[in-house]
Amino acid sequence: MADRFFQWVIDNPRRIYAGVLLLTLALGALIPRIQIDTDPENMLPADNAARMFHNEVKQRFDLKDAIVVGAVAEEGIYTPESLAAMHSLTRDILKIDGVVEKDLMALSEVDNIRQDGPGVIRFEWMMRNAPQNQLEADRIAESVSRLPMLQNTLVSGDGKAAAIYVPIEDKNESYRIAEEIRTLFAGLESGDTYHLTGLPVAEDQFGFEMFVQMGISAPMAGAMIFVLMLLFFRNLPLVLAPMAVAMATVISTMGLLIGMGFTVHIMSSMIAIFLMPIAVVDSVHILSEFADRYRPGRNVRDTILEVMKHLFMPMLFTSVTSAVGFLSLMLTPIPPVQIFGAFVAFGILLAFILTIVFVPAYIVRVKPETLAALQAAQHRADKARGIDKLINPLGALARNRQGSLLVVFASVLVFSVVGITKIQINDNPINWFKQDHELRIADRALNSHFAGTYDAYLVMSAPENLAAAEELNRRAAEIQADDFVFDWQPLAGGAGFSAALDDRITQLDDALFDAGGDEAEVIEQLLALAERASLDAKVMTSPDLLNWMANLQGYLEASGLVGKSNGLPQLVKTVNRELVSGKSEDYRIPATPEGVAQTLLQYQSSHRPGDLWHFVTPDYRSGLLWLQLTSGDNQHMSAVMDTVDDYIGMHPAPVNVDVQWAGKAYLNSVWQDQMVAGMMDSLASAFLVVLVMMIALFRSVLWGLLAMLPLTLTIGLIYGMVGWLGIDYDMPIAVLSALTLGLSVDFAIHFIERFRSYLRKGNDYQQTLSLMFDEPARAISRNALVVALGFTPLLFAPLVPYVTVGIFLASIMATSALVTLLLLPAGIWLLQRWLVPAGQGKGQVTGFDPELGEAR
Amino acid sequence: MNNLIGVIGALLLATAAQTQASAQMSVEEIVSKANQASLYAGESGKAEARMIIVDAAGRKQMRQFSLLRRNTGGGDQDYLVHFSRPADVRNTVFRVAKHIESDDDRWLYLPALDLVKRISAGDKRTSFVGSHFFYEDVSGRNLNEDNFSLLEETETHFLIEGKPKSPGSVEFVGYTASISKQTFLPETVEYVDGAGDTYRRVSVVETQVIDGFPTVVKSRVEDLKNGGYTLLQFRNVGYGLALDDGVFSERSLRRPPLELFKN
Repeated sequence: MADRFFQWVIDNPRRIYAGVLLLTLALGALIPRIQIDTDPENMLPADNAARMFHNEVKQRFDLKDAIVVGAVAEEGIYTPESLAAMHSLTRDILKIDGVVEKDLMALSEVDNIRQDGPGVIRFEWMMRNAPQNQLEADRIAESVSRLPMLQNTLVSGDGKAAAIYVPIEDKNESYRIAEEIRTLFAGLESGDTYHLTGLPVAEDQFGFEMFVQMGISAPMAGAMIFVLMLLFFRNLPLVLAPMAVAMATVISTMGLLIGMGFTVHIMSSMIAIFLMPIAVVDSVHILSEFADRYRPGRNVRDTILEVMKHLFMPMLFTSVTSAVGFLSLMLTPIPPVQIFGAFVAFGILLAFILTIVFVPAYIVRVKPETLAALQAAQHRADKARGIDKLINPLGALARNRQGSLLVVFASVLVFSVVGITKIQINDNPINWFKQDHELRIADRALNSHFAGTYDAYLVMSAPENLAAAEELNRRAAEIQADDFVFDWQPLAGGAGFSAALDDRITQLDDALFDAGGDEAEVIEQLLALAERASLDAKVMTSPDLLNWMANLQGYLEASGLVGKSNGLPQLVKTVNRELVSGKSEDYRIPATPEGVAQTLLQYQSSHRPGDLWHFVTPDYRSGLLWLQLTSGDNQHMSAVMDTVDDYIGMHPAPVNVDVQWAGKAYLNSVWQDQMVAGMMDSLASAFLVVLVMMIALFRSVLWGLLAMLPLTLTIGLIYGMVGWLGIDYDMPIAVLSALTLGLSVDFAIHFIERFRSYLRKGNDYQQTLSLMFDEPARAISRNALVVALGFTPLLFAPLVPYVTVGIFLASIMATSALVTLLLLPAGIWLLQRWLVPAGQGKGQVTGFDPELGEAR
Repeated sequence: MNNLIGVIGALLLATAAQTQASAQMSVEEIVSKANQASLYAGESGKAEARMIIVDAAGRKQMRQFSLLRRNTGGGDQDYLVHFSRPADVRNTVFRVAKHIESDDDRWLYLPALDLVKRISAGDKRTSFVGSHFFYEDVSGRNLNEDNFSLLEETETHFLIEGKPKSPGSVEFVGYTASISKQTFLPETVEYVDGAGDTYRRVSVVETQVIDGFPTVVKSRVEDLKNGGYTLLQFRNVGYGLALDDGVFSERSLRRPPLELFKN
């Protein structure tokens, strides 16, 4: 069947050309519809519980993504010059489209509350106008230091830096807004250093640079591969064939991805770069073997048919196993990784199909002189280029030192396993930028002065109070048992209970207005009942709960993990202090819920009453603590979560509230946990699938297991090194396991296939090994070099994940080729009693292939 | 019933007012009459107020309070505000002595903290107990702070523009007030920010004539930029009460004269 297929292929080159061109153009035409997605939130599916809760919390507390602008003045920020600059910068930022003015936090936009003589409290803008002299600046310094909500949030504790929190309507606009703010920096004359950071900026900026990156890295990888193949084959016309396959594969795959409506995420932006080298691998095998077999004067068509027939099964299996490796990524619960896995797998299979139809069709149309030149050039090239110099010592090692090799590999495995136990799982979108990127610099500067620019929210929610509603309805019915005057519709205890109660109180109050005598008495009883229920529902004004929250905050700050936390307790305590005396002993929570409510009523009589609703909901059923962290590392977040669990374990909340996490720092930790668990699943299942395929391919359990050895060792070694070197295990590194699995097994398949075909020809172990270190070893090494070097342009990428992938892929390819060439001979040597049929090697060393009936 | 009388009264008053509201009136006269009508009706007054504060997400809060007012001459006024709902702020009391020629004096009583405090405010454009109204909307903006011009005159309304004399002290660059020729109540006031956008609107929803005075019984302020609004309803409105100094004393902060609010 394969025969007839390839016959058809070489008979219809024009149709194939047209087909490939049509496919590429049709799918390529979809690429301009590209939509970039850089939101790390999308690492979690839209229906993920943590993500949904996070977004609900943002709604509930009217929280917006914020850009953080910071000014640093080493000699102190409280000078008329620095504050004037902050003042004018704030004014200009407020004019930028897309900035949420009401929530912008800056010295000139917040309120001050202070004592204004005995028994007098003063409410005013903190810095309505820029201070005219040092005295006024000092006064602002003193005011800020007395307001815990602002100290170390708006101005750093060391007094050297001030911040502006710029909430934005739409985080997809953050890059534009950030650029506009940067332009404003230039016009400031304070001499201070200005920085800009915040996760939305990092994300949006990353998207922008990712786009640029894709336009540079993928073509560079293409160019690199092209040059390498030219060096190997010294034949421009022939090398064009694999390049055409690679281009068609990349364009079609990306076109399909975009056309199917998927956004291009950081992972999918790497698809092109992954596919480029993988797509040419099969072609390299075909060209290598063709060059070996072709003799001038021989029939091109016969030769190519032989080559294709010989390589079809190994190529099919290597492609399918590589695809399986990537498909296994679909088992991870992270959508961008799933899409990445699915489309790389698709690309690999497409590359396989394009290779087996396009390359033979192309070769038969190449002029015989060109082919002759290929054959001659290639042998010359290998000698001259040193491929053989590389392979020969390896061959010697493999032939003579099997025992030592096995010991070495066993030690490497132990070394790797120890390293793997040291792996630190950690990811932080800001680390996607290099150390010297302006965002990293800003991130370091601002986090060293301030309590932290990374947000996590600890959300307290009172559970739905169904019992209270039931009780209320029952007692309302009791009151009216004798004298029915008010149509009391039963209230439901769900989320709208408090609002419904308020409405009910209004209705009762209206009824009371028109009522008289006994009627009024009943309505007053109902009113009292409803008001009691309404008070009971206000969980967040409970002094017990507020004190508990304050203690938890103290515990967190004492742990050193949290730079600072803001919440209702600070707000209530501050207002209470200023209302009572202004003295620090009155920095406390009032003794009764009424005291808290009245304190808050004063807080609401400010220029920014809405600020209250960032910390508590209007029904006082839910509140949050805003934790400022100095890093976005998810390990940091995990430690904070453990600390909170410890505290709650020791001191349960005094009232029944659910405590849940939200915030970006928290979300990041969620998907990273899922990533690790998911990666283990996907790796394990891919390993099993590939093992079964290997056993099926070689129709032997032993050979199948042997084929798994190189990839096992390579993956082990790579991740062992990650552990030993203390590199953070992040998403790009996690994804590499799939790639390693898919590509390492390729080498093993080709090696074992050839090894066994030589064995079948009657060679013994040593003879076979000698043959192996001729053309087969060359093809494997060539491929390893093409793929490894093909990824090297990534080393020059400005974004860290690309660099990581580049370095690791190059090392993976080199390692797995090396391991294949050394470990498999040693493994076969160890098991030769079962693997090598007895009585082989009586004849001369021969590459005779009985199936092809051809002598070499 | 109450309503019907109100309507008839309003019609009667309208004819009277129309004759007065001639095109020859100066801006100052119009503004002064409007100020008088909306803030100084009767020598004193009382009302029960209910505020529904609705945020951009549609979530509501309620405030209920009673209000006593008397004019003390020269444009100065005394106010006493007593809160009854929500229940946890019940008996919170504000007292304001409004002065035309100097800053207002404000006092506060918080029952749960058993605390009387004098408030000195940097400005009057802070929220009135968390609503979209400002203190200034309740006790009235001092006419001396703005320059006025008549933008337009229609059959029924004057359109007046106000521009602050010291723009740094307020968040708006100007406002327009649509003043009814019938009642001289400013029916719609719209505030414009530096970008030229109308970001805030105070409007009269319903008026009644009470004791002969056209009275706003329902008004509304909207945050046009961020969403959200506050609805303010008055009932049990009365004018011409005998309110002596004792009513507006520090004593009545702690023991408000609740009997005065009754019908």
